[in-house]
Amino acid sequence: MSASTTSLTLKGHDILFPPLPYDMHARADLATGDDQLQRFINNATLSKDLQRREVCAQTFGDNYDAMRSLAAEIKQHTLDHLDHYLEQFVDAATGTGAHVHFAATAQQANEICVGIAKREKLTQCVKSKSMVTEEMRLVPALVKVGVEVVETDLGEFIIQIDDDAPSHIVAPMIHKDRTAVARAFERELGSPYTENPQELTQIARNHLREKYRTADLGICGANFLVARTGSAVICTNEGNGRLCTSVPRVQVAIVGIEKLVPDMNHLAVLLKLLARSSLGQPITVYNHIMTGPKRKHELDGPEQMHIILVDNGRTEILREETREMLRCIRCGACLNACPVYRKLGGHAYGAVYSGPIGALITPMFKGLDKYPDLPHASSLCGACYEACPVKINIPKYLIQLRAQMVRRRITKWPDRLFYGLWGMSLRHPATYRFGGWVQKQMFRAKARAAGTAGRGDRYTDRGWLSKAPGPLAGWTRARDLPTPPSNSFRYWWKMRS
Amino acid sequence: MTEHGEQREVFLGRVRAALGHTQTIVPDEPPAVDEALVRLATHDDDLITMFCDRAASVGMHVDRITADELVDQIVAKLVELDAKWIVVGFDSLDQADALNNAIEAADIQIVNWLAGGATMDVQFDTDVGVTDVHAALAETGSLICNVDAKHSRGLSLIPPVHIAIVGARQILPDMLDYFATQHDATGIALPSSQAIISGPSKTADIEGQLVTGVHGPGKVFVYVVEDV
Ligand code: SF4
Repeated sequence: MSASTTSLTLKGHDILFPPLPYDMHARADLATGDDQLQRFINNATLSKDLQRREVCAQTFGDNYDAMRSLAAEIKQHTLDHLDHYLEQFVDAATGTGAHVHFAATAQQANEICVGIAKREKLTQCVKSKSMVTEEMRLVPALVKVGVEVVETDLGEFIIQIDDDAPSHIVAPMIHKDRTAVARAFERELGSPYTENPQELTQIARNHLREKYRTADLGICGANFLVARTGSAVICTNEGNGRLCTSVPRVQVAIVGIEKLVPDMNHLAVLLKLLARSSLGQPITVYNHIMTGPKRKHELDGPEQMHIILVDNGRTEILREETREMLRCIRCGACLNACPVYRKLGGHAYGAVYSGPIGALITPMFKGLDKYPDLPHASSLCGACYEACPVKINIPKYLIQLRAQMVRRRITKWPDRLFYGLWGMSLRHPATYRFGGWVQKQMFRAKARAAGTAGRGDRYTDRGWLSKAPGPLAGWTRARDLPTPPSNSFRYWWKMRS
Repeated sequence: MTEHGEQREVFLGRVRAALGHTQTIVPDEPPAVDEALVRLATHDDDLITMFCDRAASVGMHVDRITADELVDQIVAKLVELDAKWIVVGFDSLDQADALNNAIEAADIQIVNWLAGGATMDVQFDTDVGVTDVHAALAETGSLICNVDAKHSRGLSLIPPVHIAIVGARQILPDMLDYFATQHDATGIALPSSQAIISGPSKTADIEGQLVTGVHGPGKVFVYVVEDV
């Protein structure tokens, strides 16, 4: 079995950790052949993208662009001075009574978290959604030392009990339908079969409330850290983030270092953009701002608050040339806007982060040679850049990654030869004309041979190629290629005068 | 207290190296927040109406009442909800005692979570949480519920229904105005928990269908007392 087909047999979170180097074609083929998946993801992302645009236009009007620039500037400034803001945060958080830990790698972050669980003899954990804990594969690490871990975000909970993997950074089960949920609940929770989302949600609620009640460990991520006050901010619509950080005796927040903002007024700017970009909603239902553990005069809340700051490859990206990528606030708008994501869904990206931002940061985190397809999983249409609330120029960086692949000879030699010749021919009008002529003759000959020449269209000499030669073969796997018409654009242009 | 983690200096060293700094450099002022862009409501707006409209549009049930009506309205709502066993945290209200008495007179039991250790645990069995708020935001129709000696983190979160009492004067125009109150140079510590609440608990995880009450309260009733 080739590496790409083995990736199809993976189950659960292994889907996000395929054998490397990862070849995305097998999963991309599977996704494009799956009508239901196409319909679901396409509808859901289209409607979110539309809502984002409507709500942002309605709220900010002509200021939308300037608002995004301000958010970008805030995040960029914080990253440019991350040493200062980290120090400020650590001192402030320590001052509120929180314990701050430093993890260079995912493994270290897991060790710290497992260490806390063991020392405090914690056995029951409720966890809210956090992308960095997915990077770390934290859940199996805790389970191994005897901690029961329950994901509490409804989507993540369903994925956990159905041994699946999240496929969208905001809507993790966007690829699943209600019958899958109904079957999983019947099988794993012993509940009566129902496909009604209201009833399914109620079943999950009842199950999870007992878990909150008895949990002694709450694990969460954070959407933002505020440097001046030492606060961690978690935004959830469901309220699971608040419950996980309010009920258990020990709270552990695991956070990437890029989540910092200088102060509360900067937090306001980002909160105003986050939910609007993410879901076209004016604000997330629950924004929970946590500043240290329970105080002496308070009657409840976590007795201990731990904050694990995670590097895990971020300082590599923090270099000046790529720093901008760390502005990301994980709103998911670029996924919803992306025509490639809409067709493939998240699993095809073979990594924790999918969509345009995933195509960019996965090769940065894991190595370009390990994910050679990802920089190409984009049409470079620019929709992601336009949607991004912090204006990360994703297309620009994807092109840079592609250039790097050629320089580092990660691109295969036939491709390099083909594009090399192509590039040469584009450099001079005569060779361009000649190249165009050869291509036209070749395609027509092929179309004639296939008996598709002259079908349909008012250009009687025009045909269709269902199998193009060379590097274009991949393109025609899923669609036909029209042969060039007799009159070229250059000819029209000349005739015009 | 570091459990096999890195030392702070080693960790920060990598950050500084990536930034090309040999030591931590303190920046000039962070970017100014241009209010012309960011502010979405001002004191010139009709804050009560704006708050009520926006709170309703995110799915909360809103009523405008007078201080005289407060006690009767809350008790009537509790009776309508068939509440038996509730938690409360509204001691900032002038009518706190009257409200307590009226609730008990209606045969509704107020759980005294202030006494005893398992304060959160008992809240899971209650029907309703009735609270005042620390502030409210007109911009988004949000309630701000903070924790202190008289307010459990659970009151606005754990019971399936939350009833919130908002004084008209507590309504601030914009999130910026609320955060500005925390800019205090005197360094007063922020509450350990501040929740900005905008609607009932929501999910659309199953086929994008909106369902309320997945973890937090499925219903939120807001009473805006206009003459307070
Ligand atoms: S790259 Fe931009 S649009 Fe994409 S998730 Fe990050 S912040 Fe959102």
